[in-house]
Amino acid sequence: MDHNEDVIHPMLPAKLRTSLAEHIARVDHPRELVVDVMFAIQDQFGFLSDEAVEEVAQLLNMSPLEVEELATFYTFIYREPVGKYVIHVCDSVVCWMDGYESIQDHLRSKLGIEMGETTSDGLFTLLPVCCIGYCDRSPAILINKEVYGPLTPEKLDEILENLRAQG
Amino acid sequence: MPKLIIDDREIEVPAGTKVIEAAERLGIKIPRFCYHPGLGSVGACRVCAVKFLEGPFKGVQMSCMIDAKDGMVVSTTDEEAVNFRQYVIEWLMLNHPHDCPVCDEGGHCLLQDMTVSGGHGIRRYLGLKRTYHDQYLGPLVQHEMNRCIHCYRCSRFYQEFTGYHDLGVMQIGSRTFFGRYQDGTLESPFAGNLSDICPTGVYTDKPSRFFGRRWDYQRSPSICINCSLGCHTVASGRYREVVRQEARYSEAVNGYFICDRGRYGFFYTSNEERPRQALVDGKEVSYDQAIREAREKLGELIKSTGPDAVACVSSERSSLETQAMLKKICQTKGWQGPHYFLDESMAQKVKSASSRLESGLAVSLRELESADFILVIGADPVNEAPMLALAMRQAQRRGGKIAVIDPRPVSLPFEFHHLNVTPNEVNLCASLLVKTAVDLGAATDLEQPGIEFYQAIPKLETVSSSLQEQIAKVAQELKESKRPIIVCGTETVRQTTPALAADHALLLQATNKQAGLFYLLPGANSFSASLLASEDGSFLETLEGIENGTIKGLILVERDLLLHFHDRQRMELAFEKLELLVVLDYVNSRTQQRAHIFLPTSTLYEAGGIFITQEGRLQVVPRAHLSGTPIAQVSGGNHPPRIYESEIPGGEPRPGWQALAELVHEEPQPDENTTRSSVLNGLSELNPAFATIPAIDELPEDGMRVSSPEESSPRFSLDWIHELERKESPDKSLELVLVNWTFSTEELSQYSPPLMKLEKEAAVFMHVDDATSLGLSDSDKVTILLDRGALEASVSVKENMAPGIIVMPRHRLLEWQKIETLPKFVSHEEIKKVSV
Repeated sequence: MDHNEDVIHPMLPAKLRTSLAEHIARVDHPRELVVDVMFAIQDQFGFLSDEAVEEVAQLLNMSPLEVEELATFYTFIYREPVGKYVIHVCDSVVCWMDGYESIQDHLRSKLGIEMGETTSDGLFTLLPVCCIGYCDRSPAILINKEVYGPLTPEKLDEILENLRAQG
Repeated sequence: MPKLIIDDREIEVPAGTKVIEAAERLGIKIPRFCYHPGLGSVGACRVCAVKFLEGPFKGVQMSCMIDAKDGMVVSTTDEEAVNFRQYVIEWLMLNHPHDCPVCDEGGHCLLQDMTVSGGHGIRRYLGLKRTYHDQYLGPLVQHEMNRCIHCYRCSRFYQEFTGYHDLGVMQIGSRTFFGRYQDGTLESPFAGNLSDICPTGVYTDKPSRFFGRRWDYQRSPSICINCSLGCHTVASGRYREVVRQEARYSEAVNGYFICDRGRYGFFYTSNEERPRQALVDGKEVSYDQAIREAREKLGELIKSTGPDAVACVSSERSSLETQAMLKKICQTKGWQGPHYFLDESMAQKVKSASSRLESGLAVSLRELESADFILVIGADPVNEAPMLALAMRQAQRRGGKIAVIDPRPVSLPFEFHHLNVTPNEVNLCASLLVKTAVDLGAATDLEQPGIEFYQAIPKLETVSSSLQEQIAKVAQELKESKRPIIVCGTETVRQTTPALAADHALLLQATNKQAGLFYLLPGANSFSASLLASEDGSFLETLEGIENGTIKGLILVERDLLLHFHDRQRMELAFEKLELLVVLDYVNSRTQQRAHIFLPTSTLYEAGGIFITQEGRLQVVPRAHLSGTPIAQVSGGNHPPRIYESEIPGGEPRPGWQALAELVHEEPQPDENTTRSSVLNGLSELNPAFATIPAIDELPEDGMRVSSPEESSPRFSLDWIHELERKESPDKSLELVLVNWTFSTEELSQYSPPLMKLEKEAAVFMHVDDATSLGLSDSDKVTILLDRGALEASVSVKENMAPGIIVMPRHRLLEWQKIETLPKFVSHEEIKKVSV
């Protein structure tokens, strides 16, 4: 069935659209690329807007719902604007045994935001994540997909200061 | 067949049966949420845990995930299993809002049942509950996500089972949300089933919201008469009206589900405008007086001009009893008719379908699900009979391949080959396909006429090379199939197509395939009408008789001529010439309003009746409630008026067969049940095919097939080839193809307020090449000049349809009845773009 008879949203830069379309044309089952396409668009805009979800659906001949099902399932797809630095705090078993809660509390008080929020200067977003496989460095966090750990409040302060300095 | 012991009782079940089903056969209902026999097992909700004491599995396991095996000993009452289930229910209930008093599901809620039976009586969780924003899902289904226990039945049904993709599951963990991407009407024509399968009140029936509890309703088994499939339903009535209809399980017909046209098509019966009082010249009179006057006037008429000055017309929505009574009356009185079909070509198509449906070929709708190849010849399943599309979807999910030969822009919720040839090429294309797939050498017991039939099929080279390629590709799949089924429509195909479809099924059988045949007919009781239809004369001749004055009296039984006949103006003029127009009906049709004498008849829900589906399955419908104006209409929303009478207000309508019996007999008639029995007892005199039917109360649950005795109906006719030679399409003109849509075209569901909200705008479809040469683009408004004037519609430009045709829906809001003769061709000059 053709899900997408609507008008094409003109949000994607022509170059990105062409490269995605070419990539999609090369595979037998286009929908296997849905996560890659979502990431490519998120890399461009920082997050995946409603228009972007619809665009992905159109590119892959899926319904917007099917894209949304995946977009909202995966932690690293952001359906809202996020800060320059996205901090994912691991809350799974090993990090929990090593005290991730104090790390999380420290981040919340230091940044003055709750989990899921972004600082008013647009620098930091705080999000939970389930096990990221760095149990040997627990408690661990990811900042823009780069891992930090094992962490202490002091180390965190240092990391945040460095990032602030970079602006 | 494995034998196992469940709760100390032994049972033998077919291999592959899950333990949860085996227990159900013993009458033990193991709790379940995610498991549904129609959807299968996923083992997600963990509430069907039982303890395996002996056999290949040990300990607490999910009974929906484990096949019954020899030597298993299972306990559903073991303490460990009972505790396990109790905890599962307790955590499923953590976030449930406990709003049963205001929830429409209350009283038939699986979650209520499981909570109570699981032993979770006291709430321990004191934390905050998660809450959601609900969505608008359209006029049929009400959304209330807070009640959700995340069993996934809805998204599995919607996406996997029906193949639609606008409802599903989003988010993760405790935020998991079932719904649409955005608020909006659900796209699936099977969406109403969500209310049935949801184990709690997340999806409830919107039109009957807050009307009553399950135990308040008079629930009665019924069937759907909104198409020819005859799906099983449960009608729920209260306060003298049917307010809700649900799917009823049927092994042979519809399985667990029904479509939304069938579920919500019943509102005609409680329509406020429905005429419930007998009328003479528009004035309300008593039933008996109306009958007396009708009898007198008929008597005068016959006295002056003879019995053949009276003609009778009925329809495909009348019960077998009513159809048969009319037939009997015409025979004994010498009146003309009865005609059940207006179009002689349609009458012939249905006749050949009903006579060619041999018992060795006929398959039921459920059997269609096991086909490994389905060839559709001239049918548009979603639009004509939605449940057919759902059955085909199941075949496709099991790996079956599907090809559709149809000129319309057919859309189905799964992958299929569409051979969008012109109406003239449908027969040829189907024949070429079968010929390419069938190896005559392998046809062991094919008789001589069959061989000649095969040899008479033209060469593949007679069609365009692109079509050749498509046919070859599809033929290869047909060749590899073991259980191919041919589905043949009657709506848009040529007169020879139904017989041709049967011959092709025979050809496939001759090559050792387990081939089947499945027809679609135009109405709920077309099959029965065709068994009863009179051999001589057609409706058109009757119409001419009225016009030239030989027919002076017309009796219309549950038939709206001004809706169905293709030339409304001509019909209206004919009505004016009539000396007597008697109408018996249960809807306020245009035709009913023209009657000199009108007799209200009961609906299916008030009278019951017998209907024969397109596969010849005779099904009996019992009465759901007595005739009467719904209390909501009598009382205007307040307490009903305190008037004491022995009659039910608005209870005048009588079953069609009874009203007819009274109409023709001077002497007092026995009650309607006696009359009904005597009609049914005389059926075999009207057609020997009825001789095999047992008494009504001995019929099996799923009804039974009427086996047509006409084994002699000619096989392997070559008429279709002669038809090919008569190509009459005038140059450059477009053939008008009148079609049905899921909503807005079927007669009875046109009276349904919730379905009206689902109607699409009346648009005509045109191939992109035709549109281009006419200078039209998508959504343009055009006027199309027909024989009796112009009509306006918007144009939908399609690539996936045949060129050379205009596909026009018989839409409720489109006055298409302006056609002098069918087939109708429209020239380019007659199509004009309307400039805005």
